[in-house]
Amino acid sequence: MDPVKVEVFLQTLIAGILLGGLYALIGLGMTLIMGVMRIINLAHGELMMVAMYMAYWLFTLLHIDPYLAVFIVAPAMFFFGMAIQRFLINPVLRVEAILPENQVILTVGIGMVLSNLATIMFTSDYRSTPVEYASDAWYLSDLWRSSPIELSFSVPWVVSFLFAVVITALLWYFLTRTDTGKSIRATAQDRDAALLMGVNVERMKLLTFGLGASLVGAAGCLFIPLYYLYPALGGRFTLIAFVITILGGLGSTVGAIIGGVLLGVFESMTATYLGMGWAPVGRFIIFVAALVFLPGGIASVLRRRRLGG
Amino acid sequence: MKRPVFVLMLCLLIVLSYGLAIADDTVVFGIPLPLTGSKAKFGEIEKRSYQIAAEEINASGGIKGKKVVLEFEDSQGKPEISRAIAEKLIDVKKQPVLFGEYSSSCSKAIAAVAEERKVPYLVVTGAADNITQQNYRYVFRMNPTASYYTSGLRSFLREVVKPKTVAIIYESSDFGTKGAEGMVKEAKRLGMKVVLKEKYEAGAVDFKPILSKVKAKRPDLIYMVSYVMDAALLMRQIKELRIDAKLFAGGAAGFAIPEFIENAKDAAEYVVTATLWSPQVAYPGAKEFAEKYRSRYGKYPSYHGAEAYSALYVIKDVLERASAWTPEEIRKAMKETNLMTAFGPVKFEDREGYQNQNFMDTLVLQVINGKHETIWPLKYASKKYVFPIPRWRDRR
Repeated sequence: MDPVKVEVFLQTLIAGILLGGLYALIGLGMTLIMGVMRIINLAHGELMMVAMYMAYWLFTLLHIDPYLAVFIVAPAMFFFGMAIQRFLINPVLRVEAILPENQVILTVGIGMVLSNLATIMFTSDYRSTPVEYASDAWYLSDLWRSSPIELSFSVPWVVSFLFAVVITALLWYFLTRTDTGKSIRATAQDRDAALLMGVNVERMKLLTFGLGASLVGAAGCLFIPLYYLYPALGGRFTLIAFVITILGGLGSTVGAIIGGVLLGVFESMTATYLGMGWAPVGRFIIFVAALVFLPGGIASVLRRRRLGG
Repeated sequence: MKRPVFVLMLCLLIVLSYGLAIADDTVVFGIPLPLTGSKAKFGEIEKRSYQIAAEEINASGGIKGKKVVLEFEDSQGKPEISRAIAEKLIDVKKQPVLFGEYSSSCSKAIAAVAEERKVPYLVVTGAADNITQQNYRYVFRMNPTASYYTSGLRSFLREVVKPKTVAIIYESSDFGTKGAEGMVKEAKRLGMKVVLKEKYEAGAVDFKPILSKVKAKRPDLIYMVSYVMDAALLMRQIKELRIDAKLFAGGAAGFAIPEFIENAKDAAEYVVTATLWSPQVAYPGAKEFAEKYRSRYGKYPSYHGAEAYSALYVIKDVLERASAWTPEEIRKAMKETNLMTAFGPVKFEDREGYQNQNFMDTLVLQVINGKHETIWPLKYASKKYVFPIPRWRDRR
């Protein structure tokens, strides 16, 4: 094997996995909400945008590192999400409407309001948090002198990825080991049965939306050192979360994690071997392919193999 | 909101200038500019710059003792309105020389009228190549044409860098595609091999896959056409991957503005980019103009401002040399122009299929110690260029 080709392949794979880890975190929030509420939250990317503005202002005004801001922004987004659920979505759920999915349309509206509010309040300028370590990296050749190939691991990308892994693990623990988490899963599996078993379904809905918002809020904080920020950024990430949710199997957390990493790796591989202009096309091919060939998503494959969902 | 105020000012200006015109110790210039509409931002920059120039000229005695009075005419950026303004200036106001306008389409409209009526017209900012390729005798242009925009970068590459291979990364928009095509042609002329030409979707998060491919090709030159945020991300990720090309060059505005350095930080160091003008270029009067503009309006003018500011000085120079202020004499004087301005040297030549075109070397900027410095052409450099640039591994 040509070492140059191996280097390109491995570097692409690393980039894909790192990106996928962050994608998974964005997808997780949407998939949780999908599972419990049975609605696709199309304001997901805009919630991330709101969180990124929080992180941006914390950095600019108070000089708080975006990674520390996770601990402030994620709880704040939790309450923000609960408020949206309590005051906007719940009232609409109660109303009989001609449109069967009027809550989904409501989330589109919420998204629009959020991004336009951001434009009015902060202008449509690009903003970023120029942290000192933004372009630092660890190199394989520094660790292993005689390495035939050179690989680089970007510091902020790796740190963001590790954060995403830890947050995902905590979420996993919460959903499988705590009573509240089990109640959320019960609500997602069968709302009526959960109700009969004495689960406070309304409270679970509130908690879930809050949890979904705080997950994407954390993702926003992890993204801002790598990327930049502008009010219309939400749509792009809503779309990514949507693809992951479909790919993972609506409502499945394990599916969303695998789906996120798959999408990240797939995007990186298309960029390297087909051309970067093809990345958005690849995203839609995955989306359509998942709907056609794997309607239940990755979750259905897992279930078939008795790996749980 | 601002329009009524502006109209009022315009009226005032016109009334005032009529009052002065009677006195016969003034010279009145009507200047068509887009003062409303989508191009109003540039019209405003130019208007302010003309005003600064007029004040300076009047303070030092005017043109042949006559005070300069400017009348701005709003073309709204529409060619048909520019045409009407030009006709009015020639037929009613009997103005012996025209100058102004912002966009190429409007400049083209005025150029046609000027040629027809045999009145010299100085194009100030319109960059479309064909304006000065139509065998017009009365149309002169002081700004470089679109295809000469990167002429400075071209000669820098030819004389200093001498790259043999180039990788081109560009945004998948009209603007990005045009820039990339231009570079492909350029590469052919310079004898460079294009080893990779890749587009990306603007706003992409991760460039590392494409960049690792670039790295494997080991190009001498990496040429990028991007807006500012993509530009910063690209350079940051190039640094992460330690891609050691001989030179990193940015093809467009994204690399030439301060936000690029703010966002890319030390990854921006030694990146070069082509530009028409910069506030710290060593042309006489450039810095003074830029500072004067900034102290009044809060920020540095774009190159459009420098073009407008210098255009009035070109007109002054021409009128001072013309034996009479008639279109024919002014045309003769214009043809013999050889003037150094804040925008650069101005001299109208017929060559390479152009007529009455000013051929000047455009500038090359390089980020040195976290600041944009002019490095090319050498005689106008604010700092000596850094080449060869250090490898990423050896920096710091």
